[in-house]
Amino acid sequence: MTNRLIAALAGANALLSFGHAQPTPVDKPIVIQNARLHTMGPAGVVENGDVIINDGRIVAVGTDLPAPQGATVIDGAGKVVTPGLFAPFSEIGLVEYGLDGEADDSSADDDFPLSAALDAQDAFNPTSTLIAINRAGGVTRALSAPLPGGKLFGGRAAVVDLSGRIASVTVPQAAQIAALGYAGASIEGDSRLGAWAVMREYLSEARVYAINPRDYKGRSRDNDMNYADLEALGPVVAGRQPLIVYVNSATELRNLIRLKTDFSIQVIALGGGEAWRVARELAATNISVILDPVLNLPSSYESVAATLANAARLNAAGVRIAFYNSDAPAHNARLLTQLAGNAVAAGLPYEAALAALTLNPAAMFGLQDRLGSLEAGKIADVVVWDGDPLELSTRPYLVVIEGKAMSRENRQTRLRDRYKDLTRGPLPFAYRGSD
Amino acid sequence: MRRILLAATAALLIPACGKKEKKAESEKPAAAGEASKAEAEPDEPPSKIVRPPVDPYPSTYEPYPSSATLITGATILTGTGARINNGSILIVDGKISAVGAANAVRPPANVARVNANGKWVTPGIIDVHSHLGVYPSPSTDSTSDGNEATAPVTAQVWAEHSVWPHDPGFTRALAGGVTSMQILPGSANLVGGRSAILKNVPSRTVQGMKFPGARYGLKMACGENPKRVYNDQGPSTRMANFAGYRQAWIEAAAYNKKWETYWEDAEKFYGEDEAADGKKKPRKAAKEDAKKSDDKKPPEAPTRDLKLETLGAALKGDIIVHMHCYRGDEMALVLDMAKEFGYKVASFQHAVEAYKIADILARNGVCAAMWADWWGFKLESYDGVRENIALVNAQKDGCAIVHSDSALGIQRLNQEAAKAMADGNRLGLKITEEQAIKWVTANPAKAMGILDKTGTLDAGKMADVVVWSGNPFSVYAQAEKVYIDGALLYDRADEKRSPRTDFELGQPGNGFTGGAGQ
Repeated sequence: MTNRLIAALAGANALLSFGHAQPTPVDKPIVIQNARLHTMGPAGVVENGDVIINDGRIVAVGTDLPAPQGATVIDGAGKVVTPGLFAPFSEIGLVEYGLDGEADDSSADDDFPLSAALDAQDAFNPTSTLIAINRAGGVTRALSAPLPGGKLFGGRAAVVDLSGRIASVTVPQAAQIAALGYAGASIEGDSRLGAWAVMREYLSEARVYAINPRDYKGRSRDNDMNYADLEALGPVVAGRQPLIVYVNSATELRNLIRLKTDFSIQVIALGGGEAWRVARELAATNISVILDPVLNLPSSYESVAATLANAARLNAAGVRIAFYNSDAPAHNARLLTQLAGNAVAAGLPYEAALAALTLNPAAMFGLQDRLGSLEAGKIADVVVWDGDPLELSTRPYLVVIEGKAMSRENRQTRLRDRYKDLTRGPLPFAYRGSD
Repeated sequence: MRRILLAATAALLIPACGKKEKKAESEKPAAAGEASKAEAEPDEPPSKIVRPPVDPYPSTYEPYPSSATLITGATILTGTGARINNGSILIVDGKISAVGAANAVRPPANVARVNANGKWVTPGIIDVHSHLGVYPSPSTDSTSDGNEATAPVTAQVWAEHSVWPHDPGFTRALAGGVTSMQILPGSANLVGGRSAILKNVPSRTVQGMKFPGARYGLKMACGENPKRVYNDQGPSTRMANFAGYRQAWIEAAAYNKKWETYWEDAEKFYGEDEAADGKKKPRKAAKEDAKKSDDKKPPEAPTRDLKLETLGAALKGDIIVHMHCYRGDEMALVLDMAKEFGYKVASFQHAVEAYKIADILARNGVCAAMWADWWGFKLESYDGVRENIALVNAQKDGCAIVHSDSALGIQRLNQEAAKAMADGNRLGLKITEEQAIKWVTANPAKAMGILDKTGTLDAGKMADVVVWSGNPFSVYAQAEKVYIDGALLYDRADEKRSPRTDFELGQPGNGFTGGAGQ
């Protein structure tokens, strides 16, 4: 990460501290003992390992660690501990259910004038049922991202935690979202050529705008770009805020490499259906890829070379990868472990798959020093699994977010409990399972 | 990017659900039965009585060559609820010849042996809900052939007339162990049209994929989709959805009556020894009937109406009804409607709320086809729970099916079953692998009316068999060998046994190692 991005995160840190300044109950320390630890840090895999959590942080990771007084002790025998999962792309908190405008703030209407200026934190709903549901699957952080509606840009995404607390935003404006490829072309530009031209024009204009906004506003222009959008793109063209671009074909991934170089910006590829074909170039230019590792259909002409080997080949070439669930990025972020398991079956090394769920997404947003591994000093997002975390039969046994043991109950478990016994009772079903 | 997401869930928004009839599995499919009566007796003069063809686009599928094969040493899940450790399965002439403990299966001389020590064997996976071929890859306007969204009732359309046999998705499904599937029209309509039951065999023509002798299915849809699609013209409410179904059934019943009356009259007039139902009549009685009608003009056959022909056949049970319904309360209403008009629902598709009415479903002998954990893409899918499949399964006579409705999901139906089993077991339901495999084999076969031919490893059935690299309920397991009617049509270790579709030839995929997107 560049110094500029770290500088940007200093601001984010301040926000996090502000969140901590609010009165919160003091949680007891938690000690997990004798578990298999996938630390994702220098310690690697630790057998019979212990993790000590206190005051929101990981205090110690090792073996035979003395438990602090008053700690809640978790017997980790036979269990596996990983950092909390980080969903690097989703609309968590912006959508409750689909196809209903009132329940879905994830994208603007086609004719809405603003795009890059939209900001996920304005609508993020920490009480969305998706949060507890995904948390029960071990997801502790996510990128909450607005999706492009009528323009190439979706707006500014926030890194959030899945605690459900009001102050859930870890990093506001952590990334800008855009679509290119056919998805972009169908929004703006009419063709892929047109969409790329529009993208470059936006970035050029944003650069000019940033130098002197007042002067820019005084000039006559031949575009209809909104000042608010150009202003919002300031951190992108300054190289401080990554631009996540949905793009799939090998050709356009090469365009993305050029865009990064030409504008000296941070980019992350999303989709990357054919990314394996340009893996070495992506690695050489430090472009991370957020992909769905099970996409193996030529579902469009820009993914003709889609293959289950995509993740393994990217990783082998040294590309930083993370996973998203293209079917249901928000509702079923909890299935990231299954996607990772399939990537392993297709040749991705196991630890690399775990990194794609934890440390890699944290690093994509410059948070590798605070999240993504089990190391002393890091924010205590920790999951204890009752088996191999990538296996279909495994579920979290304990989910810790920022040092706090979270409930695994959610709307779905409540519905299940209401209807698991259909025997007629003294009162209707509506009286079952309520608080 | 909303478009991106919409594209990803397009199939979801327009899927079809169906129901099935509870028919004895040994019963000969009515359609095929009639066809054979009408066409397979060339020595009889052609009848003067008009009978619409029941299978005018018949299957031309023939099993590919196979040699006698003995798969040994595997953990075998038979699809009947049994598990055989260190078992063997013998395939002869494309059929399952024997299944049992390794030392109990006696192979013929010169049998090809497949050492499956440490591997698992199951029946071929069956998907009761797929849109492969009608919503193929690549997904473009020119390949979008799954929803005739021009009128709420389009029973006249047949999915087989849309299926593109070169859809690359078929090959990916094959690599996931899928050997048979039902291709449904989408769910934009109250009545979407006829389904196609296919074997997952690459073919130049859809007829070359059609499952021999399988009855057609009919796709119907509840709830949000039809009322959303037809919001301007109606139906725009759930109550209008039901008015639409009922009106269609009333017309279909009248249509059936018209033909029955015609057949009765014609049979009297011509004195032919065949009755409307195709059953032989005593010749004497027929002649007497004929005398009575000597002075009349020959009765005129009703004009064929493709829409009512399909609906009428569904009422008679010759076509199997599958109905897309998410909500439990709607499913209960549909079951009453089926009673009102005297037909059967074989399965509810996308039955996200089946767990709320699992007892009612079991009592009515209706299967529920479900996802393991998809939810929330619209309000009617908001109440999904991970234990849905297991709770349907837990009912006495409960019939749970895991379906895909997805070109991705169909590649991993075993994994969906695995998740559902795991969540059920956390609830204390004690589901075994040998039971759970039925959700993707025997139960969909039952719902599709093909359980007498496939879906289990019973001797005499089609040798549709998958050899897995390990326990198919593990995320790491892969289908290594897939046999269809005994022919090895996919072998992960042999590139030459991996299909590549026309579309994919010459495309940039040189890095592919095993074809089929692997």
